Amino acid sequence: MPFDDPAFWRAGAISTTVVMSIVLAMLTIDSLEAIAPGGSHVPPYTVINRHIDYAHNAKLGRDMPTIGQDEPLFGRAVEAPEAAALIERGKLVIQSRACIDCHTFMGNGAYYGPDLTKAWLDPAWEAWAAITGAESREEAMVRFLMAPDQYATWQRRMPNLGISRDEAVATVAYLKWLASIDTNGFPIHFGRIKVSE
Amino acid sequence: MSRSKSLAVKYLAAAVLLFGVMTLAGLASAVYYINPDFLFGFVPFNVAKILHIDTMIIWLLMGFMGAVYWFLPEEFGCEPAGIWAAEILFWVFVAAVLAVAAIFVFVQWGPGTETTLWLFQQGRKYVEAPRWAAIGVALVMLVFAWNVVGTALKARRITGVMAVMSVNMVPLVLLYLIAFPKIDNMAVDLYWWWWLVHLWVEATWEILIGCIMALAMMKLLGTSRRIVEGWLYVEVALVLGTGILGLGHHYFWIGTPDYWLGIGGFFSALEPLPLLGMVVHAVYDAGVHRMKTSNQPAFYWTLAEAFGNFLGGGVFGFMITLPQLNLFAHGTQWTVSHGHFAFWGAYACGVLSVCYIALQEQRRLVTVNGSGWVWAFVLLNGGLIGMVGSLLVAGMAQAFFERAIGGSTLEAFIAGQENPWFMLGMYSRFGFGLMFAAGYLTLAWNLSALGRRQVAAVPQPMPAE
Amino acid sequence: MSPVVFLVTSSLLGFMVLAAGAYALLYGAARFRESYALLIAAGFAYAMLALDAAGIVLATPLTPPWKLLIAASALAYFAIPPLTWRALQYAHREEGTHL
Ligand code: HEC
Ligand code: HEM
Ligand code: HEM
Ligand SMILES: [Fe+2]
Repeated sequence: MPFDDPAFWRAGAISTTVVMSIVLAMLTIDSLEAIAPGGSHVPPYTVINRHIDYAHNAKLGRDMPTIGQDEPLFGRAVEAPEAAALIERGKLVIQSRACIDCHTFMGNGAYYGPDLTKAWLDPAWEAWAAITGAESREEAMVRFLMAPDQYATWQRRMPNLGISRDEAVATVAYLKWLASIDTNGFPIHFGRIKVSE
Repeated sequence: MSRSKSLAVKYLAAAVLLFGVMTLAGLASAVYYINPDFLFGFVPFNVAKILHIDTMIIWLLMGFMGAVYWFLPEEFGCEPAGIWAAEILFWVFVAAVLAVAAIFVFVQWGPGTETTLWLFQQGRKYVEAPRWAAIGVALVMLVFAWNVVGTALKARRITGVMAVMSVNMVPLVLLYLIAFPKIDNMAVDLYWWWWLVHLWVEATWEILIGCIMALAMMKLLGTSRRIVEGWLYVEVALVLGTGILGLGHHYFWIGTPDYWLGIGGFFSALEPLPLLGMVVHAVYDAGVHRMKTSNQPAFYWTLAEAFGNFLGGGVFGFMITLPQLNLFAHGTQWTVSHGHFAFWGAYACGVLSVCYIALQEQRRLVTVNGSGWVWAFVLLNGGLIGMVGSLLVAGMAQAFFERAIGGSTLEAFIAGQENPWFMLGMYSRFGFGLMFAAGYLTLAWNLSALGRRQVAAVPQPMPAE
Repeated sequence: MSPVVFLVTSSLLGFMVLAAGAYALLYGAARFRESYALLIAAGFAYAMLALDAAGIVLATPLTPPWKLLIAASALAYFAIPPLTWRALQYAHREEGTHL
């Protein structure tokens, strides 16, 4: 009886593992293409020059980012290399301060602070713009990131992480680009958005 | 005692000590949810939490290594090929862990440059350790892998269990290399990071602990090797058959295409099936042997492993693994509830079981008894179940108020966090955390005191350390 | 999916696997104790599972493929304990236990 023979099960274990690994490898190739900047799910870094929003797509039945008119950060459009440099710097700031051990990005990380996937679109920046005396959303974000403990909205504060102005600008660029990624509808009901299209 | 076994005892002792550090750091992180001003300005939440989860990875790894170094000489009938290297690296490992902990607590962060990633920390969950330390961990694991594979070559023989373990060393080491690169694109970064996290804990670690438990069962219950090996192969087939593509349950929302919703949901929904088989197996062993073994604590901890793996991974994972539901529960305290139950059940209980096995032989105890271990067992498991229950309440409240009713914004987040149900969960988690910590102290005391009195009464030659 | 339905659905899913665990535990205990009462209890646990699965299929907004998966898992859960048990007995047959 083959079921009684460990060799039978060993062959089964090896073949299952090999098949599953091959399928995973193929899916990985396809997914990496989709999530490369400029791929089907992730816009190029220069998207930070555009207006970004998040709306319910009735056809797909889920929330989706929308990319609109020109709306450069701080009113100054950047070329691709500069955009890439900002993103690189922004990611380094995020890693060097371990933001992900308080916050989540696309739902991954720690749960002490709010999810940052759509932080760029958070209505709270209007209030923060008033408190920080900033003219624009990006300026309000920069001021907040440089001194979050001074502009706290509730008892659970974000600490001052010694972020310089340049670092804060790069981080804001990063968060704006992050908001443009198509995350299959996560987070849901963001700001209880309205139906579009 | 052989050199390999002495080294194993060192690894297990270090694991138990680090388990204590982890518990303390977990309690500190939990206090922040109740009193956000706690240590604010000195040790922020993220530092406490990094300490908590990084020491968790390290103590479990050390526990696995201790277990394997313990069984190696028995499996091969000789000392491991590179035992000298492993002995040196043990102390290097301990020193590096202390240095990294000091850096986390006192330096905390650096400017946004690569230098920070090399020297202070890398800011990626579970693998925050700076690159210099990550190189050390990689080295330790390489020597570990070499000792498993190389010893088989040296002894010119291999058992089925050791063959599985040897092959498993390859992904174990390779996946760890994901701890190094800096990837600008967060979607790609998370894509590979999940290979490290999910494929480690739901694939390679499952196989490794499966091998360790197989060796433990042969030892504890005298089950024949042929039977144990047959089971191990079945388990490998099922765990990898469901777990490799089960990876997809982490690819729902990170920018990856939506076919992952179907693939990830389907394969991870199958993951509880093999875990149920393990429960049946545990009941069989417990029933047939009528709980009679000379090492009760070790046996009970293996039972806790089977049940905990099933409840934590199977039940708590299944609640949130279908994409329609994960959309709400993703990245909430619900995740934390599942994570604690699963890690505890699948790995921590197994390591503690091996600690008792090693102790019995090292201290030459005919039987391991007394009531100390019972107290530790009850307090630890009771505390943990209380914690995950509290977190489940908090997580449900968070998913409900922040996501399903609220709008997932900062305002909705705050509303969820201030909700009375959520706060109730946070307070009771802390209470059960204290119970868990009391269990830890009892365990540490029991492990160090066990059999010592007997030794004093009946003089025995001290085991060579 | 409405907020309450979401919580109910995931609770039903968790309960289903939990009931499977209870069924496996009671089934095993029934076999080694050779107790008819425990076997009935195991049957009862499985009935809870089946009821729960039926609830998921009939009353939740999961899409049909997921419901099919749930129904199929419910059947698989029925078979796992007896099959595993028999395999274990067969494997251990030479150890001379009376089971
Ligand atoms: C110690 C924990 C902690 C760390 C580390 C941390 N944050 Fe925060 N963060 C918080 C908390 C708490 C809030 C809510 C603050 C408030 O409402 O006043 C917050 C709020 C924010 C917000 C506003 C979110 C919104 O949706 O309005 C942004 C943006 C942000 N953090 C970005 C960052 C970045 C970028 C980093 C890393 C450089 C970081 N945080 C590191 C705890 C942290
Ligand atoms: C006294 C006991 C413990 C307490 C108070 C505690 C507390 C915590 C806290 C507060 C967090 C942070 C969650 C967040 O980001 O909001 C956390 C994370 C974590 N802990 Fe614990 N913990 C304890 C024991 C354990 C044990 C025994 C294990 C495993 C064996 C464990 C594994 C983890 C894991 C894996 C995470 C990350 C989970 C996630 O982000 O989803 N903890 N713990
Ligand atoms: C050994 C077994 C397991 C361990 C140790 C484990 C551990 C964990 C941990 C620590 C996390 C949090 C990861 C993070 O974000 O940091 C997690 C997430 C998750 N696990 Fe598991 N798990 C196990 C088995 C399972 C099983 C069997 C299932 C499904 C049935 C499952 C489903 C999930 C899901 C869906 C998430 C994502 C939660 C979210 O969206 O936030 N897990 N697991
Ligand atoms: Fe997973």
